[in-house]
Amino acid sequence: MARSRSPKNPQRPAGKARFKVGDRVRVKDLPNLFYSRTQMYVRGVVGTIAACTYQDVIPEDEAFNRDGQLEQYYIVRFRQKDLWPEYPFDNDTVQTESPERWLEPA
Amino acid sequence: MSNAHSHGDGSEHPAAPMVEEITDFEVLEIAVRELAIEHGLFTADDHRRFTEWAESIGPAAGSRLVAKAWTDPAFKARVLEDAVAACKEIGIDWAEPTGFGTPSDYMNLRVLEDTPTLHHVIVCTLCSCYPRPLLGMSPEWYRTTNYRRRLVRWPRQVLAEFGLILPPEVEVRVEDSNQKCRFMVLPMRPAGTENWTEEQLAEIVTRDCMIGVALPRPGRTADIHPVQKARRPVKRTSHPPETAHERKK
Repeated sequence: MARSRSPKNPQRPAGKARFKVGDRVRVKDLPNLFYSRTQMYVRGVVGTIAACTYQDVIPEDEAFNRDGQLEQYYIVRFRQKDLWPEYPFDNDTVQTESPERWLEPA
Repeated sequence: MSNAHSHGDGSEHPAAPMVEEITDFEVLEIAVRELAIEHGLFTADDHRRFTEWAESIGPAAGSRLVAKAWTDPAFKARVLEDAVAACKEIGIDWAEPTGFGTPSDYMNLRVLEDTPTLHHVIVCTLCSCYPRPLLGMSPEWYRTTNYRRRLVRWPRQVLAEFGLILPPEVEVRVEDSNQKCRFMVLPMRPAGTENWTEEQLAEIVTRDCMIGVALPRPGRTADIHPVQKARRPVKRTSHPPETAHERKK
């Protein structure tokens, strides 16, 4: 898919995607350096890669106009029961997006 | 100059804006816009025309996309493969008019296909990300913190409040558009619509069906959220004005 905004700096594409659809990943619980789009509710939780989507600048850089380095993004699927143990329906899921650096193999 | 003014009736109060509900972001938007106009990046008239155009986009394009996907399996396959490209076939170019995805803000669209065992519903827990080129501006409730935080945690209860109760064997999948993808739900074509034209089908694909808080069905052509009136006990004053007036007579 197309990159979103017209870049100011030369783009440096990300390398080969580290994860593929079906891989189990854990969302890292990194400190928030001024800005992040990685929600607290998925931190430390294990999910499954549902899609490798696009390469783009990460929000932590974009917020400060550093738009050169691209990174692979994924859609990650979580079981509701893994997010909230008392959740009553076994099948229900939540999907969120994440850049690669927030994910580690699980 | 004094920061208080007189009304000539002896009352004085400090000058204050008439609308106090303006947010910091609105103030920021006005400041940036006025600077941009001052620096000649665009004119006030450009801004007015763009705003009017952006606000005029409704969900009709999304309805057309769903109706076409229901009647044309090859188009549906293209929608699921590359939704931004498929949008061009129904006359929607996500790059218009700036070349980088305005008014969507990004150019990654994924259409989520419902099945008999899977129901999607979209939310943006961070703010109000929404596939605007297809659906126009999001409804007010979509942007409320109430919807955004509760849909992730209690999706079935929130859907029930919209009148949508799904059996436990159907997987409810909440899609949080927290980064640069925008999402839209492709609901299942309801029974009783066999031999309908695309135009007829599009009429029942309302905005709420494409967010995932309602299901299309024959005869349902509008998203109507009834206003629930608060039923709280009303305490009458001991001397209602009309009674006092009656007494004077």
